[in-house]
Amino acid sequence: MSAGHFGIILVIAATVIEGFAQVFLKKAALSPAKWAWRGVGFAFFGLETVVYTWALRFVAVSIAFPLGSLSFVAVTFLSQFLLRERVDRTRWIGVLLILAGASLVAGRA
Amino acid sequence: MTGDPRASRKLFLGLALAIILDTGLQVVWKMAASDLPDQPDFWRTMQGALHQPLFLLVGLFMIGQAFNWMAVLDHADLSYAHAITSLSYVTVAAVSVLALGEIVEWPQVAGIMLILVGVWFVSLSGHSGRPAKDRAS
Repeated sequence: MSAGHFGIILVIAATVIEGFAQVFLKKAALSPAKWAWRGVGFAFFGLETVVYTWALRFVAVSIAFPLGSLSFVAVTFLSQFLLRERVDRTRWIGVLLILAGASLVAGRA
Repeated sequence: MTGDPRASRKLFLGLALAIILDTGLQVVWKMAASDLPDQPDFWRTMQGALHQPLFLLVGLFMIGQAFNWMAVLDHADLSYAHAITSLSYVTVAAVSVLALGEIVEWPQVAGIMLILVGVWFVSLSGHSGRPAKDRAS
């Protein structure tokens, strides 16, 4: 595996971690145990920062930053499956377009 | 969002600042990460980050970004503000070429355009949660 591909895997991991962080913050908004969920959410944001910093050592920021848009995809999937939110067709079209765009950007690495 | 011209100007400046801070953060973050000394393992590299002054700047950008974002959300819906600030995908690519000498090729430009359209679609879709303070009152 090339350094560029490793960097892309790290960026994707960072977006998934951000997705979980967002879900935990939403859980905080819904639950009486607000600060516990907020704590977990912020810990995940901290982990995301570390992983993204590591990724930037291997991949250009002009690639890493647009790939960060995959967090929209992660948030959409996680909020549907973990929070049981309803996701309409327009949002799925957006998710597909983001996936297509991110694939083009990642293809450069 | 509001019809008051002063509030509109404030919102415009806040959104512009959000894009500038996003762009500055990404470029400085990349510079800081690239300057980390090569260490044999991951945790030593991350410890090196604590001694790298550029990471202080990264932290300041993040704090500035957070405060500005909260101010922006006082004047605009999240979906609107998020869609507008996705323009930073374009500015980060442009500044990375000018400041870091990165190469941006046509497939990448096409990818960024698709992402922008995708973000626009996401922000068009409905939301069932309770929006911020406008509707709380």
